[in-house]
Amino acid sequence: MTMNGSSSPAPVEVAPPPRHRPPWPSGLQANGSLGLGVLAAIGLLVWVGVNGYKQTLLVTAATYALIALGMYVPFVLAGSLSLAYGAYASIGGYAVALISTETGLPLWFGWLIGPVIAAVAAVVLGLATRRLSGFYLVAVTLLFSEAFQNYLSNASFTGGNAGLASFRSLDVFGWHPSNEQLIIASAAVVCVVAFLLNRLRLSPWGIVVRSMREVPSAVEAAGTRVPILNLVALAMGAGIGALAGALFTQMSGSIQPNTFTLNLVFLAIFMPIIGGTGTPWGAVLGALIVVELTLNLPSLHTSGTLLVSLGVLLIMLVAPRGVLGYLDTGRKELMRALTPTKGTDG
Amino acid sequence: MTDPQLWISAAELGCFFGLLALSYYVVLAGTGFFNFAIGPYAMVGGLSAAWLVLEHGFELWLAVAIAVVATMALAAVTELAVVRPVQRRSGRSELPALVAVTAVLFAIEQLAGVIFGYTTLPGQELLNIQPITFGTSVILPSDLLLGIVTIVVFGGMALWVRLSRTGRLLRAVGDSRDAAALLGLPVNRIRLVAFVLSGLLAAVAGLLFAPKAGVSSTSGLDWALSGFLALVVGGTATVWAPLIGGLILGALQVFIPFYFGGPSLSYLLLVLAIVFFAFRPQGIFARRVRV
Repeated sequence: MTMNGSSSPAPVEVAPPPRHRPPWPSGLQANGSLGLGVLAAIGLLVWVGVNGYKQTLLVTAATYALIALGMYVPFVLAGSLSLAYGAYASIGGYAVALISTETGLPLWFGWLIGPVIAAVAAVVLGLATRRLSGFYLVAVTLLFSEAFQNYLSNASFTGGNAGLASFRSLDVFGWHPSNEQLIIASAAVVCVVAFLLNRLRLSPWGIVVRSMREVPSAVEAAGTRVPILNLVALAMGAGIGALAGALFTQMSGSIQPNTFTLNLVFLAIFMPIIGGTGTPWGAVLGALIVVELTLNLPSLHTSGTLLVSLGVLLIMLVAPRGVLGYLDTGRKELMRALTPTKGTDG
Repeated sequence: MTDPQLWISAAELGCFFGLLALSYYVVLAGTGFFNFAIGPYAMVGGLSAAWLVLEHGFELWLAVAIAVVATMALAAVTELAVVRPVQRRSGRSELPALVAVTAVLFAIEQLAGVIFGYTTLPGQELLNIQPITFGTSVILPSDLLLGIVTIVVFGGMALWVRLSRTGRLLRAVGDSRDAAALLGLPVNRIRLVAFVLSGLLAAVAGLLFAPKAGVSSTSGLDWALSGFLALVVGGTATVWAPLIGGLILGALQVFIPFYFGGPSLSYLLLVLAIVFFAFRPQGIFARRVRV
């Protein structure tokens, strides 16, 4: 979908010289987008202020963004679509909830163990379908989501359909953060994860994974085990998804089996497509747009989700690079128009 | 497992899953991928007919005709407006098609919710005869119709795929799209036929199964998964394999909850999927090609 090789217009010339410079200035790109992301986050935090409704909205947006970022790793980078993110987020949420209500262990232990369990589940599901087409992974992850939600509703230690509530407040080595501090922290977590994923995308590992998405046989032939690479991507995504669940559960103070619905998972596929698949920040932007359309615009009410799903179909058809992709093109055009003509960038 | 009523239920579910799996099979044979939007197609077939009759007072058969045509149109739109452009732009990798059909699945579900409402509507009875009773068991007219239609549809499909020109072209295009295009076969037209036919099959399945437990805008996803599982269990060796898979899945869906309680069903489906995907993804009946 990306990386259109730039071909020379003159066909007479033999073999273009090999490009030694990578086509992207990696460090600059990752840091620049971090700067923009942090600026946007600060802007949002100022907008939210101490308004309780807006705070809830921001926490929801941060959760959506983290789920979309988790999905970004296997889906956009590695090219395998997993739909168990509702279950992964539930695992993260219930880990925090159960550690808080059933044990005397420190709460951060729940934040740690949830992602690990989710990653293990993702590996098991990935192993079952490791040599099959992506359709099988979609089916098995959907079935896992249903079975897991069923289990949460029927098991006794998870509180059944009523779920779990009234947790201890977070205690980070003696420091009890206030609600405002926690909200700033959730925005910060999203920025950090998006930044790290962007670095990961541009790292050698990220390049191998993206090549695997386009031509798996070539990567396999080069001696890299494609199924293992895929499993690592799936596990990483599941871990981030569980982190999202932990964040939401901690902030909202309760969790039920249907807190993370399948609708949310479908919307999370759409978030990178809306925002732009070129960078993880696209997933974050997509999450903000989806939250705005489905939750914050009262005029849309129930049709917000319909609008998003039809919009995504339209974006896939006519604007496959998403919002950020077009903004980036616009920025380049602007730069070109502003700078005196000396040469063109590759 | 001796209660005949349970076996009737199992056969009914099996026929429904078999029809859905056959709908998958047609698209798979022609295009090489699984169209998950088939579950929502069936939902639209059943739900729109019930909605037209109950909310707008349409004649039953007019409503049924509209529902079937609408579903076939939906399938054609999926291919023409979504899958084909997306695939044309992104080459032959499977992810774009997968994302496209997943997005279509979700969009149809949302659209149906907005148009038809979020409540469960009872399916329309198409056959007005007395239920057949023998002993303590009852065969409802809807069961009878579903069973008869299933047998007719599968028989017709087996003949169509083997004997008709379009059926043979379908298999040729599905085996190798590039080779078929090189030979000058009408690849795009065949794919469109496959989609429209799968829409027809899904609409029939949804219409005939809706009286059993009603139909709502969210039924589509479960149906999509059941049909997919039935096809994976049965395999694709012959046209009849999806029906065998559907019947096996139907029997499991009836007997497992009966003996082990309601929640066990979703666990069983997960285990069944993992076992089949990991150890026998080609299904029970697989075509063997000697090279």
